[in-house]
Amino acid sequence: MIEARELTKRYGDKTVVDRLSFTVKPGEVTGFLGPNGAGKSTTMRMVLGLDAPTAGTVTVNGRAYAGHGAPLHEIGALLEAKSVHPGRSAVGHLTALAQTHGIARKRVDEVIELAGLGSVAHKRVGAFSLGMGQRLGIAAALLGDPEVVMLDEPVNGLDPEGVLWIRNLLADLAAEGRAVLLSSHLMSETAQIADHLVIIGRGRLLADTTVADFVRESGAGAVKVASDEAAKLQALLAGPDVAVTASNETELLVSGLDARAIGQVALRHGVPLHELTPLGASLEEAFMDLTTDELEYRSAPADGRSAR
Amino acid sequence: MTIALERPAEGGNKTRTPVKPVRFRRVLLSETTKFRTIRSTWICLALGLVLLGLFGSIGAFTYDGAGVTDGPPGISGRPLDAVSLALMGLSFASLVVGVFGVLSTAGEYSTGTIRSTLAAVPKRLPVLWAKAILAGGAVFAISAVGVFAAFLIGSVGLDGEAISLSFTDDGVLRALFGAALYLGLVAVFGVALGALLRSPAGGIAALVSILLILPGLAMLLPDSWYDALNPYFPSNAGGAVYALTETSDRLSPGAGIAVFAGWVAVTLAAAAFRLKKTDV
Ligand SMILES: Nc1ncnc2c1ncn2[C@@H]1O[C@H](COP(=O)(O)OP(=O)(O)OP(=O)(O)O)[C@@H](O)[C@H]1O
Ligand SMILES: [Mg+2]
Repeated sequence: MIEARELTKRYGDKTVVDRLSFTVKPGEVTGFLGPNGAGKSTTMRMVLGLDAPTAGTVTVNGRAYAGHGAPLHEIGALLEAKSVHPGRSAVGHLTALAQTHGIARKRVDEVIELAGLGSVAHKRVGAFSLGMGQRLGIAAALLGDPEVVMLDEPVNGLDPEGVLWIRNLLADLAAEGRAVLLSSHLMSETAQIADHLVIIGRGRLLADTTVADFVRESGAGAVKVASDEAAKLQALLAGPDVAVTASNETELLVSGLDARAIGQVALRHGVPLHELTPLGASLEEAFMDLTTDELEYRSAPADGRSAR
Repeated sequence: MTIALERPAEGGNKTRTPVKPVRFRRVLLSETTKFRTIRSTWICLALGLVLLGLFGSIGAFTYDGAGVTDGPPGISGRPLDAVSLALMGLSFASLVVGVFGVLSTAGEYSTGTIRSTLAAVPKRLPVLWAKAILAGGAVFAISAVGVFAAFLIGSVGLDGEAISLSFTDDGVLRALFGAALYLGLVAVFGVALGALLRSPAGGIAALVSILLILPGLAMLLPDSWYDALNPYFPSNAGGAVYALTETSDRLSPGAGIAVFAGWVAVTLAAAAFRLKKTDV
């Protein structure tokens, strides 16, 4: 469990994290979202005591990080910036970390296998690809078998197989009763992994909610359906909470029903579908609506609608 | 994927990986592994050993009794003796072992390793002490080997020459051990400078300036100041411990090494302060 209370960090006179309070609970994945420069990485460094808060407190399992006798057993973290000597091998790096906590060598091999780094375990880390570096960082985070796992943009640089691996890994960790905090700037991607959301902008808390609530309130969750018998399907789907708009004669945009329900209706009435896609895009828009006033780095309009 | 992590979702508190609290001896072991697993450690230590052993012994073999007044480069002006011949590689070696010390700490910042390190050891200071002990100890041991080897090999080359000395002669053992001690402290000095400045380039520049350039620069001072301060500059104070004979412009061997150790201690304290107090 991570508990931040009125956490504040100033660099000079710039307030980067501003009286931020949130809780990361065991047994669920909490998505930590915010645009570039929102203060996510800074918050995570404060959790580990690498940066000292200007004001406020943050605790891990009820204590300041440095107050734990075996901190790697409490929380394992993947930080944004590289934190491995490029001349060392994965085994060398993990062994050195393990020795500080008297962790057996067997465990080092376990996390290397778990991260899929078995074949490069003795290679210099400097020669690793971005994705392999991320995997090593995740192996290091899991080394101490921690109760809390905190990952700063873990999918950064991972291929689709790697993204899926992370997703399953985090779900497993949460199912085992661990608390998982994961930062990202991608709402749609996070919504697929997370149970809970903490959204910040310019260091301030903008939303602390469940994914389900956020999705419901944002009106997101529309499903795109393509069928040669779109008109027939539109009639079949009609209902009190359901809105169906047809964009052309073969495509429908349905809100108020999830993909599963639509598929069942189609099957029951023998309507062949050739596409059934839950749309994440509007979730992303809801996220942007929420954070747009808080953008640290705003891009100039490129297509007339920019940060909308 | 066979994983200890995977256990029943129903929170059955099965085998968690055994983990022990962080203790100084564990930090020491971890830092030993870190030293072992980067190439620069082996390069610096091997280079230091070669410089000491090779330069020291070659000096004795090329020594020509007729040229007693022309001291070899680096120790010109001083009366030549078998110990200073054996220590001809010392000033180069001091740079190499100093750089070794700097890289062990500053390298953690330039590569980002420091974040992993301090996440594992959030009390922070044990890491600095461990690095200082290991770098200082390793360099002391290697230097002792190099210096004694140079002296022994050199004494074959000097056999029959007037300046030839043996271990039993006055001050010889003290000077040789003193040289190894000095080099060990230079490595610790490097550790401290690297941790203080957090940059390999900055640390190495500071090391070279303080050990080599500062004494030369001090010549610009008025004579009376120069005479009073000169013996206390780090490298001059340290130099007193490995000089065979005591002279009036130097501190005594014991006082000299104590003053140098004081410089190192002050720098290490400043490094500890910065490590403990500032963000990484
Ligand atoms: N050491 C520092 N000194 C000064 N400013 C800093 C420092 N670290 C971070 N900042 C500033 O703090 C702000 C927040 O940075 P942070 O890296 O925490 O954001 P983030 O949410 O992780 O962004 P991103 O999504 O791009 O990773 C940025 O404006 C950054 O410039
Ligand atoms: Mg970040």
